[in-house]
Amino acid sequence: MNSTQTKREIRLLSGFGHLSLALWTIMILFPLVFAVLASFKSNTEIFIENPFGFPSNWDFASFGRAWTRASIGTYFINSVIVVVASTFGTMLLGSMAAYVLARYRFVGNRVVYYFFVAGLAFPVYVVLTPLYLVVDTLGLLNSHIGLTLVYIAYSLPFTVFFLAAFFKTLPNAVAEAALIDGASHTKLFFRVMLPMAKPGLVSITIFNIIGQWNQYVLPLALLPAEKDKWLLTQGIAAISTSAGYEADWAALFAALTIAIIPMIIMYAFFQRQIQSGLTAGAVK
Amino acid sequence: MSDSDLTRRSVLRRTAAVGLLATPAAGLLTACVGAKDDGPTDQAEGQVTAENPLGVKEDAPVEVVIFNGGLGTKYATDAHIPSYKKKFPKADVKFSQTEEISTILTPRFSSNTPPDMVNNAGSKLMDQGRLVSAGQVAELTDLFDAPSLDVPGKKVKDTLIPGTIEAGTYNGKPYVLNYAYTVFGLWYSGKLFAEKKWTPPTTWSEFTSLLDAMRAAGITAPYAYAGANAAYYQYLVILTTAAKIGGPDVLKNIDNLEAGAWKVDAVRTAARLWGEIGAKYTDKSHLGLKHTEVQLQQNQYKVGFYPSGSWLENEQAKDTPPDFKYQLAPLPSATSADKLKPTALYAAPGEMYFVAAKGKNVRGGKEYLRHMLSKEGARKFTELTKVLTVVQGSTEGLTLSPGTESANKALTAAGTEIFNFRWDAWYKKMDDECRTATNELMFQGGTADKFCDRMQAIADAVKADSSIEKFNR
Amino acid sequence: MRHGTYRFVIGFLLAPIVLYATFVFYPITQLVYVSMTNWTGLSPKFRFVGLDNFAKIWTDGLFWKAVQHHLFLLILLPLITIALALFFAFLLNMGGGTRGGVMTGVWGSKFYRVVFFLPQVLAVVIVGVIFSRVYGPDQTGVLNRLLIDVFGMDKPIGFMIDYGMWAILGALVWQAVGFYVVLFSAGMSSIPADLYEAAVLDGASRVVIFFRVTIPLLWETVQVAWVYLGILAFDAFALVMLLSIEQGGPDGATAVLPVLIYKQGIRESEYGYASALGVSLFLLTITFAVLALRTGRREAVEH
Repeated sequence: MNSTQTKREIRLLSGFGHLSLALWTIMILFPLVFAVLASFKSNTEIFIENPFGFPSNWDFASFGRAWTRASIGTYFINSVIVVVASTFGTMLLGSMAAYVLARYRFVGNRVVYYFFVAGLAFPVYVVLTPLYLVVDTLGLLNSHIGLTLVYIAYSLPFTVFFLAAFFKTLPNAVAEAALIDGASHTKLFFRVMLPMAKPGLVSITIFNIIGQWNQYVLPLALLPAEKDKWLLTQGIAAISTSAGYEADWAALFAALTIAIIPMIIMYAFFQRQIQSGLTAGAVK
Repeated sequence: MSDSDLTRRSVLRRTAAVGLLATPAAGLLTACVGAKDDGPTDQAEGQVTAENPLGVKEDAPVEVVIFNGGLGTKYATDAHIPSYKKKFPKADVKFSQTEEISTILTPRFSSNTPPDMVNNAGSKLMDQGRLVSAGQVAELTDLFDAPSLDVPGKKVKDTLIPGTIEAGTYNGKPYVLNYAYTVFGLWYSGKLFAEKKWTPPTTWSEFTSLLDAMRAAGITAPYAYAGANAAYYQYLVILTTAAKIGGPDVLKNIDNLEAGAWKVDAVRTAARLWGEIGAKYTDKSHLGLKHTEVQLQQNQYKVGFYPSGSWLENEQAKDTPPDFKYQLAPLPSATSADKLKPTALYAAPGEMYFVAAKGKNVRGGKEYLRHMLSKEGARKFTELTKVLTVVQGSTEGLTLSPGTESANKALTAAGTEIFNFRWDAWYKKMDDECRTATNELMFQGGTADKFCDRMQAIADAVKADSSIEKFNR
Repeated sequence: MRHGTYRFVIGFLLAPIVLYATFVFYPITQLVYVSMTNWTGLSPKFRFVGLDNFAKIWTDGLFWKAVQHHLFLLILLPLITIALALFFAFLLNMGGGTRGGVMTGVWGSKFYRVVFFLPQVLAVVIVGVIFSRVYGPDQTGVLNRLLIDVFGMDKPIGFMIDYGMWAILGALVWQAVGFYVVLFSAGMSSIPADLYEAAVLDGASRVVIFFRVTIPLLWETVQVAWVYLGILAFDAFALVMLLSIEQGGPDGATAVLPVLIYKQGIRESEYGYASALGVSLFLLTITFAVLALRTGRREAVEH
């Protein structure tokens, strides 16, 4: 194959490539554009008329309703608080457990390891009632702390499974040198091993943030009573259910738009970090 | 990935074993399921006086949970709670609302820490029959025997529309207050009918020729219901027709799980007639739509008749053109030999409210219901929700909307020929199956025979299942 | 091992184990126990019934329908998602020209990467609400409108009516692809450049490089993707709840186990039976995970 052939191939590829990439972009964006447009429309415009038609008037009232009546703002902040706390907790406890399980020999190591990993295949919604009773007994119902602890517990199997594999791959020499220098095991972990594991930590952190941010069943079951403690997904589900009765679809789509936009901005902003985190972590 | 990592891959194989190992331990933990014991809980109790017939403790908090649906929750926060607090200023009424009653309340009942008063409603309501048989629901006999809050000289039960207490009776004892009085029929636009000079049909042939006329007039779906979540409205209509053909006992036999109750001619004929309507006069895409979406289409004059309860007008208030004028028509008679008149109606007390037997303040819960059943409480409810209540004369002095007024008129015209069924609330399994069977009949080429066979099979299965408590009427 | 090490190990493991045992493991044991009772979930009373619930599952037509649907998702969801994601990742990383001996992505690949990832940051509840309009069964549905206006289709398609599982699959793929594009892109960019240089010098075409160099080196990542997507195939709870007709219909056409569990447990108050379904789902998921990882291991050893 000579270089002109290669060039032709590249041109062909990029032509076909652009076409398919553009097509997928449209498929991603169309529903989102529809959702944004719908937040300005009346129910009749949403359900009777052309889905891509423009609203008859660009009225931001629906955003006001979503913000005040449905308190989307509060829920958003609650979600951020819970997810930040639980992701931090998950990563701290998960990496501690994974590190010990990956690098120390002791009686029962394997048992503990499988004990954690068994949770990987476990769907949350089948244990809601027993879980509710446990949380209630501990007096943690309707509290963000309780929910955070539960989030951490349910993120551990995945976190331990992948971080343990990651810690295994780290070289021994550095650890040994540090121990000979008289560092304690704890110091070794926080000062040496954690920084070395940073790429793996980043990628698992991202997995956890996405997973916890999207969690719906757990908050619904564990934060039932006090509406001002609700999380974003609960808020949206609540409008979505009540839209069936009061039919304020514009407010529902406005709430979706409010929920979507910060995530888009955040992702666009951290895009490079996420990518490099995944590069170093998940491939291992 | 290194070799050591590969061994990790065997992890999940062994995890299964760990899961099994844990099972014996579960036996030791059984106590948790019923974490708190079954004995009577401490209940707030006060002095019984003429002013306080239920013996409510004046400063005991009472917790109410209201379903947030078509009726909203304003009637509770703006009418009933203030009424309770006016009578017991020291009491704290803890109010919460939810769209998902069962998700939120099931764990509280299983742990014996329920709220005092619950509005059990919505698509995610709890199985009321099972709650009653589990001993979770307080008997309401003393409430109905107590004097009315604001009708002097009358007991609560004497202020109610006949049939109210029966609708909440389980095996002979009253447990549930069905508060809203709902009339079911076919809804249409008064404006459209006046414009086209159409009149509501009283016979089946008038019905089908009117549907033809609607189609000719460019109405895409002369008849419609929403298959995605509201097949319930349609099976109610099918059984209404069955009751008109064979009399209300047809429904009673179905309720009582009598052998062959679904296979009698009345049900079969009704299913056949409606199956034909489904095949000829509906829009197939409605199988995939939710009730509000189809209702919007009716508001845009794309749907002729729509079966629903009398809450419809309020539910659609925001999207209905001002001159639409909702009207209710009773179902036309099916055959010339119908046992009931064409004016006969399905109407029922609905929207369940009950007091938890194991709540902390059972008396307070009942007292709350007494406030709901006061004339003033009922009047405000109708004012806020445009829905009639089971309290007699509570609409006095209110200007009724066109839809509510037509429902009221239809009720008067029906006289004593009012009927309903209860199997759908008693046996949720049958409700689920009937929704599916109805969609099949109306949209997917099902037949009357198939419909009857399916329903008879599930009714027989429920009857044979000893774990399901049976009810009778 | 020194005494101090043991203290360290215990110190590090204590909190995670306590947390996990309390909130995950203990409820699971409860579930297994409840699956052998006739508990309704509405009162503390129940009776031990042994394996009766599992016998009932065996003859439950809807259960087997749901298992079929999971198999459908289990095969197609990873297949389609991974194929699309690999293809896009290839274009975004190697579809462009060679600059300084390093292959680059097509023009605009940064933009595409952001857009493709978008669905991933949406909560599944949001995806459900949006797709309920995307799949609208008449000409007001987003997809139907598109097909009618742009492609001249004459009659709207009842997506959730006639093609329920395909529609659910579509929404799942729509949301998942972007994540795996990023994951595979990351994998591709970590493949040493000299491997590619050698291949280019040998005169291999882009397509050959993709199949001979990229895919084998990405195999580990592909496997991880396969396991994630497989576990996702056993879920689909929120989408079926929000999109399907009568939650799993019409007539069981979109029944999946989590929805059955939900309906039995919550709607019909058969908590014992629902728990037995839960245990079955757990066993199915774990069987899949074990099989997937075992197959993967054999492949990995071979090359």
